[in-house]
Amino acid sequence: MSKIRIATDWLAACAGCHMSLLDMDERLIQLLERIEITSSPITDLKHPPRDGVTVGILTGAINTTTHIQVARLMRERCQILVSLGDCSVLGGVPLMRNHFDLEEALRRAYVETESTVDGIIPRSEELGRPIPARPLNQVVKVDVYLPGCPPSPEAIHYVLDELLEGRRPVLKDPFLKYD
Amino acid sequence: MDKVVNIRINGRHIRARTGQTVLEAARAAGIDIPSLCHHPSVKPIGACRICVVEIERQRGLQTACTFPVFEGMRVETESEKVVEERKFVLQMLFSEGNHYCPFCEASGDCELQALAYRYGLDHWTYVHPDEAKPVDGTRQYFIMDYNRCILCRRCIRACSELAANHTLGVKFRGAKTIVCADGGVPFGSSSCVNCGTCLQICPTGALIDRVSAYGGRESQTERTPSVCLFCSVGCGSEIVTRAGRILRIEGDWEEHNHGVLCERGRFLPFQETRRRIETPLLRREGTLQPVSWEEALEALAQAIRNTPEKKVGAWTTCRTLNLTLSEFVAVFLGKVGANVGVLELTLARFKLPMGGSLKDLLAADTILVTGADPLSDHPVIGYHIKRACMHNGAKLIVFSDNHHSMSRFADRTFPLAEMEKAVKICQESAVPVVLYGEETPPDQAEKLAVLQRKAHFIPLFPASNGFHAKALGLRATFDPTSMDTVYLLVEDTELSEEKIRQARKAKFLAVHATFHSPLTEVADCVLPALLWCEHEGSLYNLEGKKVAVRRAVPLPEGMIPENEVLTQLAALL
Repeated sequence: MSKIRIATDWLAACAGCHMSLLDMDERLIQLLERIEITSSPITDLKHPPRDGVTVGILTGAINTTTHIQVARLMRERCQILVSLGDCSVLGGVPLMRNHFDLEEALRRAYVETESTVDGIIPRSEELGRPIPARPLNQVVKVDVYLPGCPPSPEAIHYVLDELLEGRRPVLKDPFLKYD
Repeated sequence: MDKVVNIRINGRHIRARTGQTVLEAARAAGIDIPSLCHHPSVKPIGACRICVVEIERQRGLQTACTFPVFEGMRVETESEKVVEERKFVLQMLFSEGNHYCPFCEASGDCELQALAYRYGLDHWTYVHPDEAKPVDGTRQYFIMDYNRCILCRRCIRACSELAANHTLGVKFRGAKTIVCADGGVPFGSSSCVNCGTCLQICPTGALIDRVSAYGGRESQTERTPSVCLFCSVGCGSEIVTRAGRILRIEGDWEEHNHGVLCERGRFLPFQETRRRIETPLLRREGTLQPVSWEEALEALAQAIRNTPEKKVGAWTTCRTLNLTLSEFVAVFLGKVGANVGVLELTLARFKLPMGGSLKDLLAADTILVTGADPLSDHPVIGYHIKRACMHNGAKLIVFSDNHHSMSRFADRTFPLAEMEKAVKICQESAVPVVLYGEETPPDQAEKLAVLQRKAHFIPLFPASNGFHAKALGLRATFDPTSMDTVYLLVEDTELSEEKIRQARKAKFLAVHATFHSPLTEVADCVLPALLWCEHEGSLYNLEGKKVAVRRAVPLPEGMIPENEVLTQLAALL
C-alpha cells in the first residue's frame, strides 16, 4: 500500500504546535511507515505539492493577506484539512490584537517594545498586508479541528491515527483541551 | 408537607418530593444534569438554559433547574435533542465576549470550559465580536472583566439574596447587556461592601481575585475547612493554599454563614503589614534580644515565682482558642493564683439567654438589636438581619443612642432607655429574635428578660471566643497598675496607648503576641504567638456551637502554639 501523503504549514503561529508534532518522538517514526510528509515549514520543501495530498495540516491564525493565500493553496491541494491548535481553531493569542487599532498594535510590536532599538514597522510588499486576525475556518472550509495550546503529541497522534484508519476523529477528554 | 412524587428520569423510577425541581430530584438520585447559572445557594432563574431536559407532554425543552416535579412525569436528560440544544447554547455563550482559555485565570476551574469539554466543542460555530468591553478594576480586592462574563447573574443573586446588599444588577439590553453596580457606577465607588460573595460564586474568570489570580488551579491547591477568627460569628471558611502559601479564603456554603464572609474575614488578612515576631525576645541592657524558648520562659517563670501571687496579673484576648483559654485559667488561676481576666468584654454583666442561631434569625418576624452595631462589627450577622427584613418581611427594631448603621433598614429606632416599648412589640410578634451587645445598659437588659421563653437570644460578643471566655468566668477586669508581674496574651490584637501605659507600670511585663507593636516594644519578655491560619483547635461561635479551627499552613520553624507554651511555663513554676 502506498503511503498517505501529508503536508503541513503554519500561519500566524508561534511554532509550538509543530514542536508538539515533533514531540510525538518515536511514534513519528512509526507513523512514517504509513505516511509521507511532503512539505512542512521545517523541511526544505515548504509548499504542498501540485498533485495534492490526502491530509493538509495548518497551524496558526489568519492575520495577513499572505496567510489567506497559504490557507487557500493548502485547501486546494488537500482532501482533508486539519485545523491544528488554538490559534488556527479559535483565533488564539493573535486574536487579542483585534482589541486594538492595527497601527497601534504594529507600533507596539515593532517600535515600542522595551528591547527594541530604532524599530521599523515592516511594510515590504512581499510580506502581505496585516488584516484583523481570525480563525482558519473563516477563510477556508475546515474538516477536522484539534484545539489546544499546543495540542498534546498524544492528541495529534490520535487524530492522525484516526484519519489513517479512515475514521473522523471525535475529540474527548484528555485530547480536548483549550489550553 | 413533603409528599412523595413518583417520576421517571431516563426511564429510571425516582421518588422525589413535592417542591423539588427536576434538577434537585435528579441530583439527589445521582443523575447528573449539567448546569451553569444554577447554584444551590441562590434561587434558580433558568437563565443559561444548559440544564434543559425533555419532559413528556411539555412544549419544547424545559430548564431542569426551575421546573417542579409532578406525579408521573417522564424526563429525558441526555436525549439527542437535549444534547443538540446544549451544544447550541454553548456555541451561543462562546460567541459573545472573550472566552479564550489559554490566557484566562479560570482555565482549568471554569464551569463554562468544563461544559465545552463535556459536550466536545472542538471549534466555535459563530463569529464573536472583536469589540472588547472595558475591564473594571476600581474595586480594591478583585477585578471585573466583562469580556469573560456570561450573564448567569449568580453574582447578582448572591449580592441580593445572600449578602442582602442589592448592589449588583444589569444594564443595557441584548448583546450589550452587562452586570453593573448601583445602576451603572464603577464598582469601586458603588454601595458594594466588599464581602466577596460574588467573586466566590462566579463560574467563569469574569471576577478575578487580585491576590490569588494565576496562583494555582483547584487541582494544584489544598482546601482546609476552618473557622474565621475575626469576630464571634465564627463563619465557616475554607482556606485555599498552595505549597504552604495562602491564596484566598472562601466561605463555606454548608455552614451557618451560607458561604458569605465579610471584608475582614475574606480580604483583610492579605493586607497585613505588621512585622511578625519570629523568636522569643528578652530585654537585656535595655534592648530586646532574641533568646531561646527556655531562656524566655525561665525568665517569665522566675518573675512569677519571685512575685507574691496577688501581685501577678494575667490577661488574655478572647480571640484565642478553647484549649489556650482553659490552659491560661489552669496555669494563672489554678497554679499561680494570680489575678486573671480577658482584654475584651464578654457580655458577663448580662443574665440573658444565649443559643439563638442565624437560622432563627432568618425565620424571625421581629428582630431587636440592642447595644451593638452588627453591620459594622459582625457584618455577616448584619447581612442576615437585612435578609430577614428585606426578603422575609421581618420587622427590625434598633436600640441605639448613637448613629447606627442599621437604622436606615429599621422599622423603628428607639433610644436605649425605652426598652419596654421593644418588649411590647416582641411580645406581640410570633417569632422574635433579640441580638444584644455590650452597650446595652444592664438595667435595660433586665427588661428583656421577660422575653426569655418567647424569643431567641443571640449574644454579640465583641471578640471571637467570647462565648467560651464567659463560660470560663473570665471577665474584662484589666487593671495591671498595681501588679508587679504582668503576662498579656494578645495574639494579633492591639492594646490602646492608655492600656499599654498601665501595663508598663509592672516591674516585669511579658507579652505573648503575633506581631511587633508599641506594646511589645516596651515589654521585658516577648513570646511569639501564632497567626490566624496556623491555629489548630476549637472555639465556640456566638450560637454556642463548638467549631473546629484547622491549621492551613505549616508552623514556621521554632513557633510553639500558645497552649503548649503555657503548659511548658506551668512546668517551670
